[in-house]
Amino acid sequence: MGRYVARRLLWVGLLLFLVSLLTFVIFYVLPSADPAQLRAGRRASPEQVEAIRQRMGLDDPMLVQFWNYLKGIFAHGDFGYSYVNEQPVRELILARIPATISVAIGASILWLFFGVLVGVISAVRRRTKLDRAAMGAALLGISAPEYWVGLVALYLFADDIGLIPLFGSAGSYVPLSQDPLAWFNSLILPWSVLAISFAAFYSRLLRGNLIEVMGEDYIRTARAKGLGEKRVVMRHGMRAALTPIVTVFGMDLGLMLGGAVLIEVVFNIPGIGRQAYDAILRADLPMIQGTVLISAFFIIVANLVVDIVYAFLDPRVRYD
Amino acid sequence: MVAATQDLSGKKGGTLKMLWSSDVDYIDPGAAYYQLSYMVDYATQRPLYSWAPDEETTPTPDLADGQPEVSNGGATITVKIRQGINFSPPVNRAVTSADVKYAIERGFSPNVANGYAGAYLGTIKGAEELQFGKAKDISGITTPDQQTIVFNLKQPDGLPKGVTGYATTAVIGALALPLSAPVPPEYAKPFDAKNPSTYGVHQVATGPYMIKNDAEGNTVGYKPTQSLELVRNPNWKASTDYRKAYVDAIQIDQGNDNPSIAAPQILQGQNLIGGDVGPPSALLQQLLKKKSPQLVMAPSGGIRYIALNTTFKPLNDLNVRKAVLAAFDRELLRKVNGGKAIGDIATHFIPPGIPGFDQAGGLDGTGVDFLKNPAGDMSVAASYMKKAGFPSGKYTGSEVLTIVGTSGGRAQKTAEITQNQLQKLGFKTKLQLVTQDSMYTQFCNVPKSQPAVCPNVGWLKDFNDAQTILVPTFNGDNIVPVNNSNWPQLDVQSINEAMGKAQVETSSSSAGDQWAQIDRQITDQAPAIPWVWDNTQNIQSENVKGVINKFNSSWDLSFTSIK
Amino acid sequence: MAPLLEVRDLRVSFETEDGVVQAVDGVSWSIEAGRTLGVVGESGSGKTVGALSLLGLTRSARTRIEGEAIFEGRNLLQLDDEQLRSVRGGSIAMVFQDPLSSLHPFFRVGAQIVEAIQAHQDLPDRAARARAIELLGMVGIPDPPSRIDSWPHEFSGGMRQRAMIAMALANEPKLLIADEPTTALDVTVQAQILDLLDRLRDELGMAMVIVTHDLGVVAETADEVAVMYAGRVVERAATAELFSAPRHPYTWGLLRSIPRLDSPRGSRLTPIAGRPPSLIDAPAGCSFAPRCPYAGDACLEARPPSTPAGSAGHESACVLDLAARAKAWDALSADGDQAEAEAILGVGR
Repeated sequence: MGRYVARRLLWVGLLLFLVSLLTFVIFYVLPSADPAQLRAGRRASPEQVEAIRQRMGLDDPMLVQFWNYLKGIFAHGDFGYSYVNEQPVRELILARIPATISVAIGASILWLFFGVLVGVISAVRRRTKLDRAAMGAALLGISAPEYWVGLVALYLFADDIGLIPLFGSAGSYVPLSQDPLAWFNSLILPWSVLAISFAAFYSRLLRGNLIEVMGEDYIRTARAKGLGEKRVVMRHGMRAALTPIVTVFGMDLGLMLGGAVLIEVVFNIPGIGRQAYDAILRADLPMIQGTVLISAFFIIVANLVVDIVYAFLDPRVRYD
Repeated sequence: MVAATQDLSGKKGGTLKMLWSSDVDYIDPGAAYYQLSYMVDYATQRPLYSWAPDEETTPTPDLADGQPEVSNGGATITVKIRQGINFSPPVNRAVTSADVKYAIERGFSPNVANGYAGAYLGTIKGAEELQFGKAKDISGITTPDQQTIVFNLKQPDGLPKGVTGYATTAVIGALALPLSAPVPPEYAKPFDAKNPSTYGVHQVATGPYMIKNDAEGNTVGYKPTQSLELVRNPNWKASTDYRKAYVDAIQIDQGNDNPSIAAPQILQGQNLIGGDVGPPSALLQQLLKKKSPQLVMAPSGGIRYIALNTTFKPLNDLNVRKAVLAAFDRELLRKVNGGKAIGDIATHFIPPGIPGFDQAGGLDGTGVDFLKNPAGDMSVAASYMKKAGFPSGKYTGSEVLTIVGTSGGRAQKTAEITQNQLQKLGFKTKLQLVTQDSMYTQFCNVPKSQPAVCPNVGWLKDFNDAQTILVPTFNGDNIVPVNNSNWPQLDVQSINEAMGKAQVETSSSSAGDQWAQIDRQITDQAPAIPWVWDNTQNIQSENVKGVINKFNSSWDLSFTSIK
Repeated sequence: MAPLLEVRDLRVSFETEDGVVQAVDGVSWSIEAGRTLGVVGESGSGKTVGALSLLGLTRSARTRIEGEAIFEGRNLLQLDDEQLRSVRGGSIAMVFQDPLSSLHPFFRVGAQIVEAIQAHQDLPDRAARARAIELLGMVGIPDPPSRIDSWPHEFSGGMRQRAMIAMALANEPKLLIADEPTTALDVTVQAQILDLLDRLRDELGMAMVIVTHDLGVVAETADEVAVMYAGRVVERAATAELFSAPRHPYTWGLLRSIPRLDSPRGSRLTPIAGRPPSLIDAPAGCSFAPRCPYAGDACLEARPPSTPAGSAGHESACVLDLAARAKAWDALSADGDQAEAEAILGVGR
């Protein structure tokens, strides 16, 4: 197991390297705009633009630039400088990580809770009206676009523009460290909106898994042992039905930690997703690199954690 | 529309909140070059001159103690500095002329790289030398005493092609931009030594407000792309300033990208104003219908046009260009972009509110037949086409016109309508849609790769002087290989020369006349389809008494108050 | 001696999208303490469903279970879930066919046995664990103290079935129902497991019901056999008598399909031709008639009742003449002459 983790960690490093190389190459092969001109401003002379290009290191050969970039990361933990934002990339990203984590963790708790709850009830009460209603709603939840649901939620419940003002509105995000209550209130809507589609998906997934598992021989064994139905479902059934959910959850959480662009836009939450989006729009290469790397990092690490956790969940799986 | 004379009275106190979609371009006043940044800078910084809310022709002395004194036939500009103005903490000391000199000098350094310094102040002796590292300061700026600063300009033969006298007007105009706001060298130099300078996040203020900072001067109130918090500058004295500074604090919340959320938040909320957040069209129509005082529109001092590449066959034929302009349905374009509220249909190039606008024909235009009908006139178009040698009245040649436009939103619709209008005249077209940044920096700004038509370009004044509109965009001497803004690549000797003369005209009324004449000449060349002089749409909460700064065509934070 | 469990007219039907499946259609049998009953039939004959239904393991909204199953004076079919729960794994335990899929893959073997113990006995963990080790030893798993913490996938097939049996014995059941306990195992292991079951029955004095499709299995272990076809018991007899004097054509078919070591080389096995009938909307008459080479018109008229067919307790459900059947079997078992048997039973007249 230890060797397996070490090997996987090496892979993480290699993957991150490849991801950043790829971002670099894409940016150079398909440049979206000229950062030097953007930085110089519309009245700058070509000489000034050239001077800025030099200062930004954009006139170096691509490999030199890439090497300098890597050197910065490994030698100084320096992810470069965003000329568009006039700030070091690391600081910019660090400033946004708390919001992203807040959104991801809160939403994932909600969607896990409701996804599992609805999934179990639906599976146990299979083919009842309750099940049909829940699964119908889940289908809606999966297909409803997040952005749209977010808008509707705001128009309904936001404390400033909502019909029934209850929760914090767009742009009301407050850091946890500043005011936990306001933080919580401002995130209820984004959490819920994000959680809807995920919970819907999870409930359908779990329902399917659980129904399948409940038909397994070992469930019959558990019943034949004289276990109560609750224990049969919650211990024997769920133990097996939840395992694939853990995999999906790890991936989703990793993705989410890389930023939830749409939700961040609708609710004006200063998270990483929008930062990446803005960076792409503004051809801010160091920022694009930084956000892509951080997202990739979260996703890759989430994958690794999932694989390791899986080995603990399913004793039949062993990594040697 | 904003009143000609606004009521500038107000109640003191309260916190004003402002919603922005984007961030400042640069938090450093020496690099700032954008409406939102100006809004903050004019409330926190005191340049030599600045624009009082209703002023449209002459800037008001701010740090300066009076109007500039021009001597030596325009070669020397002397400005006296007001006494009793101190920097905000942690610097605290009184401002001197040396602080202004340093502020302008740092604008030329590559670590600050101000975007307009070169264009307007590059005619100061020694400025270029500093810019390209041949000097340590600008020899042409001298400070005989702590309250006096003198600008010495280059001889005319050292100026850009065509300018026949001293570029005095440009320098004076630029002294009302944030770059001339004082910067204490002893404090700022260590920050400016960094590449890029970090003075922006350590800046000190001279205006009534300052970015909230800590004891060391770190601007803790600024969280890039998230928020900006302005508080009162304890060292500001009302007696030295024309600003009123009613509210106690200004809280700016960024990232409000969705106007259909942000606008209702402002309109239904309290203490809120919009920065770059305007109402979405449906809401705009409602507000207009109600004549709501919560919406205040102001001319932006900008123009949007569709640039025709005059070096590209067949657009190199003046008659073809005139035909294109004549056929174009600008009414339709405006309708698609939001209707009357977005602004008046442009009939020439100097926007309303800028000297020369009225003399060039005002809203009615210069009188050319090919711009007479805003909905387009196919018969006029046909007549020009015939003159161009296309007897059918439509283009029958084989050239394909490439159009490079901005993808998404209204800009894309503009590009699509452009294509459609060109096809109406018989042109074959190819439409390419890219991001706005790409459209400028990779296509339209680079003559080598410039398409035939750039439908999504426009220009905004730098200050209330027509030269800031017309010179960068239609002077043939300004066609450069990179970062070009003469998109039509119009190069007409008589126009270039007339601009050179007008640029050194110090009498503002006669300058207005000259620029109007140039505007007419440009319009006659049909280098672009002018289609709208933009308005800005500024919204406020019911309990806010907003005052518009006409120069910046947005809220003036130093005069806006809470009812 | 009163039977330990007496099943009377058990009927189990499932509602499905295609219609009502009558999986068990009036089954009766009984078993006494210390005895072994073999329930034999093809897959789909209702033998497993019947066994599971006794313990309510087929209960659902779409299942109808009727009849009686009297165990210790209570009708199992009428018990509520909680009462049934205390019977399951308590006084009646079950062992299933595939020991790999029947053990939960995510729990250790010992833990699963401990769980079974604690479901019925208020034992502290440590004592339950000691008991589990004892049980594993009892079913012949070597070195139980260390194997108790193994995962099911670390056991061989035979070991897993031993573990399943240990689990079933956890609460000293009075009746053990073994559903195809050896089907998934290697032939050599099959014999070991059957021996084990036999031994345990004797040691613990339990009664045992072995449900199987394999007559070979019951031949070695059962005292009595019930042959099921299409949800019904078509013949019941003491094991020896069933093998020597079967009186139902279906039983003949089953017996003749067993490969015999003494068969001449090249002689064909005689599988029963055709497929088991659909259990949806079964027609009146003998359900085996469509596959029965000896069926006549009478067979299609009504469901044949079980009638005595030999020694006490030997019953079979066939309308054909008993004496003719006896003769026909003699002919069949002597030389496998199908034609002669047909002639005896008057087919083809």
